[in-house]
Amino acid sequence: MPDTLAHPVRFGSNAGQPVTRRDGIAKVTGTATFTADNSPENLLHAVYVPATIARGRVTHLDVAAAEAHPGVTMVMTPGNRPALQGDPSAKPTMFSFRIEVLQDDSVRYAGQPIALVLGETLEAATEGARLLNPRYAAEPARTRIDDDEAAPVEPGGFGRPAGVEHGDVAAGHAAATKAIDVTYETSAQYHNAMETHAVVAQWEGDKLSLDVPSQALLMSCAGYAYFFGIPAENVTIRAPYLGGGFGSKAIPTGPQVLAILAAKETGRPVKLMLTRQQMFGPVGHRGATRQRLRLGIDDGAALTVIDHEGLAATSSFDDFVEPAANASQGLYAAGALRSAHRAVRLDVGTPGPMRAPGEASGSAALECAMDEMAEAAGIDPLEFRLRNYAETEPGTGKPYSSKALRECYMQGAERFGWSGRPLLPRQMKDENGLLTGWGMGTALFPCPMFAADARATLRSDGSALVETSAIDMGQGAWTALAQIAADSLGLPLDMVEFRAGHSSLPDGGVAGGSGHTATAGGALHAAGGDVIRQLGEIAAADPESPLHGAGNAAFSARDGRLYVDGDDSRSDSFADILARAGSAELVGNGSASRAPEDAEKFSMHSHGAVFAEVKVDPDLCQVRVTRMVGAFAAGRIINPKLAESQLLGGMIWGISFALHEEAKHDPRTGRIVNADFAGYHVPVNADVTGLEVLTVHEDDPYVNALGIKGVGEIGIVGSVGAIANAIWHATGHRIRRFPIRIEDLLTA
Amino acid sequence: MDITFLLNGETVVLNGVAPTTTLLDWLREERGLTGTKEGCNEGDCGACTVMVTDESGPRALNACILFLPQLHGRAVRTVEGVSGPDGTLHPVQQAMVEHHGSQCGFCTPGFIMSMATAHARGATDHDDQLAGNLCRCTGYAPIIRAARSAEGTPVPEWMADEVPGSTPPAPTASGPWMPASTDELATIYAAHPEAVLVAGATDVGLWVTKALRELDEVIFLGRCDDLKAVEVTEASIRFGAMVDMNTVRATLAPLFPSYGEMIRRYGSTQVRNAATIGGNIANGSPIGDNPPALIALGATLHLRKGEIRRDLPIEDYFLDYGKQDRAPGEFVEAVTIPRQTDRLKCYKLSKRFDQDISAVCGCFNVTIEDGTVRAARIAFGGMAGVPKRAAAVEAALVGQPWTEATVAAAQAAFDHDFTPMSDMRASAGYRLASAKAMLARYLAEDMGEGASVLEVRA
Repeated sequence: MPDTLAHPVRFGSNAGQPVTRRDGIAKVTGTATFTADNSPENLLHAVYVPATIARGRVTHLDVAAAEAHPGVTMVMTPGNRPALQGDPSAKPTMFSFRIEVLQDDSVRYAGQPIALVLGETLEAATEGARLLNPRYAAEPARTRIDDDEAAPVEPGGFGRPAGVEHGDVAAGHAAATKAIDVTYETSAQYHNAMETHAVVAQWEGDKLSLDVPSQALLMSCAGYAYFFGIPAENVTIRAPYLGGGFGSKAIPTGPQVLAILAAKETGRPVKLMLTRQQMFGPVGHRGATRQRLRLGIDDGAALTVIDHEGLAATSSFDDFVEPAANASQGLYAAGALRSAHRAVRLDVGTPGPMRAPGEASGSAALECAMDEMAEAAGIDPLEFRLRNYAETEPGTGKPYSSKALRECYMQGAERFGWSGRPLLPRQMKDENGLLTGWGMGTALFPCPMFAADARATLRSDGSALVETSAIDMGQGAWTALAQIAADSLGLPLDMVEFRAGHSSLPDGGVAGGSGHTATAGGALHAAGGDVIRQLGEIAAADPESPLHGAGNAAFSARDGRLYVDGDDSRSDSFADILARAGSAELVGNGSASRAPEDAEKFSMHSHGAVFAEVKVDPDLCQVRVTRMVGAFAAGRIINPKLAESQLLGGMIWGISFALHEEAKHDPRTGRIVNADFAGYHVPVNADVTGLEVLTVHEDDPYVNALGIKGVGEIGIVGSVGAIANAIWHATGHRIRRFPIRIEDLLTA
Repeated sequence: MDITFLLNGETVVLNGVAPTTTLLDWLREERGLTGTKEGCNEGDCGACTVMVTDESGPRALNACILFLPQLHGRAVRTVEGVSGPDGTLHPVQQAMVEHHGSQCGFCTPGFIMSMATAHARGATDHDDQLAGNLCRCTGYAPIIRAARSAEGTPVPEWMADEVPGSTPPAPTASGPWMPASTDELATIYAAHPEAVLVAGATDVGLWVTKALRELDEVIFLGRCDDLKAVEVTEASIRFGAMVDMNTVRATLAPLFPSYGEMIRRYGSTQVRNAATIGGNIANGSPIGDNPPALIALGATLHLRKGEIRRDLPIEDYFLDYGKQDRAPGEFVEAVTIPRQTDRLKCYKLSKRFDQDISAVCGCFNVTIEDGTVRAARIAFGGMAGVPKRAAAVEAALVGQPWTEATVAAAQAAFDHDFTPMSDMRASAGYRLASAKAMLARYLAEDMGEGASVLEVRA
């Protein structure tokens, strides 16, 4: 590991500090504006009718009744829906899905829009939608993973994962002296950001202005533009704040496109906001999986094979196959590795990426299987993982750009007190007689980068404006990205005005894959660097500048001044340099993406180790997670406060995955019976006690210019397995289906 | 209906409001106050929390299932009315900024209102105070830290609301009505037996926001102060039907701690602030948590129609699924619990530990003398179409020695008492198995033994 970064960054200034959120006051006073808070003059409200069957046709809608209701201004059905310029089944951008926009009378899943009603008030539109009272010709719904034949996945990019095979898998199986063959299931989960999907659409000629929560502003502009046959630059999106996204707000959805179409047709602004119940349908979810894992070890407890087959549910009309099996391919050293994916088509909405897609579900199964393998080997689960520690990427042998996983194991275990753990299950009880268990899991998440642009403008007063269409969906972009920008310019944070969340700004890329801070931050870093470079050129050429003639020396920027590197006696202020040059401002541009050669050379991942304690009531089998420690190595941490919240949030999502979240379909109708917050459980505060996050320092010179690996998703990854393994350790029962229910333990 | 209330310190007079317009819709759609958010529109998430002050002080309530007439004569504060007139942040707002209590920020206004209300009341049980606010970014730890750090700071003077407390609107012939006393209610309801009685609206609110039902005739009970009385004597505890569940909890927790703990988990602070014991009983839900506890305690229900009153053992009120022993125009006036030595244990089993509807709620009240079971009252929610006593189990226990063997034998009797259904909360087999486990647990706790010796299998 080199001592210094290949691309120097300035530690100890703004970045790396626990700066308080810059949007904090707006949020605590209620002045932060979310999409549905906008109500332009002359607004119409749109409400769509969700299908109440999962498969079949709509045979009748009482359009007359709806139209007769006072305040209803328009009823849109497949019979009268105005034409779209784009094909709803096409995929105009990188992350796209086929959408349902009343193209015909078929019903492909419960919750699909089958009509749209516009009203002068929300109440009128709601009542109009109710009055449509649809009738159907229903066919039997397929909603369970066994309801149809599984088929192999044709690999093809987004949503169609390829499998991986390294080494001789058959030989790996044959060489095993001990082996396990286990199958784990995970349930359908729905993102349920607190802010439901919404849109406020206004047309002016062929220009479209949208308030819409979006995790990818420029890509969304292109997507919406496609459906309406206009250039992408004719679409403007304002999204200063997102009330959470978690992967569900990256691309246009059917209901939003319909609302925009309604605005075009009526010539009036239209607002549509999904109800909580409507969030269980057309806006994506984490698809259910069934995963078979076959692991083998030799006499030294070294893995001879990891053989991971995933079956995932997708919709009847589009492909998003959860890439769960691939989660096991970059983590443990094994003689042979194989992952394969199959899909089953069900009458559900198309799944999509949800916080840690692939890794969350795949790791849940893998980490439990590792625990089962350790049990079979008769050794401690942490020791077992250390014996199979991968020093280079399994299969490819590529070096890691950095990997402090061993430190995560050690620091996490130390903090948790793992060394006192009995090997056998059902050995620990607390003072109240509750069965107590400890489990662990390893976390792994890749470090993707997208592409982003940014612009930095140094003003004559020495302050700066920095701009990129970055997205803050809660992770803290308004703060962390501004910190990076300030650092790149050598300015204190309060001298930097940061603009984001608007599509007219330079393309900030996609807030996803835990890569936004690295990507948008990289672009800001480059833009600031471009300003400083130009500033240096001006100063070096200016006879009146103390920096005159220092043309070949490197400059560094601090506190609004440019210094000759290594000679603090020679410096000049930004404002003075600009003033003497007669410049009102100086503009720098930057962009960021990963160099293909770096991606080829190194395996780039964040790592972590999660330790969990659960307590289980021996009679009633209620489970409480009482303690969790997560230690994560995720490269450079820009803002420890923000990062801690992201990692804690991920771990709590892990609790939720392990114990709570599951959309349950009524097999008769195909409808989700718990499509609300009363029945679809996410953790409340009182469910969460005793969580702790440690971050393990990592200098990664290769992952990107800033050494950032990302923290948005990895927290969930090791946590699910850690909790399930702790439940086994408490009770002796392996529950191989998530979420783990009281019932499973009671009848185990 | 014509109503008046204070909104962020300013008097609001509304004439002719529809009885089922929710405060949330009115704030956002009519008043343009969009700080209050809609997260679920059914009282599950707390994003719409507001502070409502009446004569008994400030309470946090969910605006999404709060009808405008319920505000008459009260003072409302929204997130827009928490900072000072000069923009000075409220101590809980300041603490939320400093402790990084917001992430995406959508739930933040609701958290702020729950916190400001708890702060005004001096409440420091933050986990419970905030259990009804969901954060999907799950930034709970910094939020609790913020609440803790704001403890004890002075309540800003701008938060003081003079409760208008005006007289109820004049009754009209066709309603909606807002009677000022039980007698007035009795008269109106007898004349309009089809009317919907609205107490806290935690259930009726959903008929409107979720089921999109039109309510033709509505009687709001919020001004019947004589239905809010709590009388604790040597012989009994009597709750008027309009006593809210937080008051029930505060009253019962010292007398029957297990009941108190069950109520803590039974809903959020916002829901307990709105929900009433009379509403919970009258509703007749098979999974309501009060009825099994009240049955186990031998409570008496007091019903009234016009001037006619009658009492009945509470278990006799629940006839069948959706059917109660209540005549048209008859209403629940009060419920009385006899004072007794505390032998009550309530076991609430739910998928999520806190703030979740029960899969099974079992309440046990078994009297032991000289090692022999002298009396047993055992009742369940979630095991039948109504809250129901376990008569066969009780019979199998009474007169027998209070031992594991007796319990084991009595467990078989559950099969006679109950044929539970399978639904999304639990399977029939699970319900039966857990009910049996609860009896074993009751014995184990009674014996003071570690529960582990009594592993129970289905």
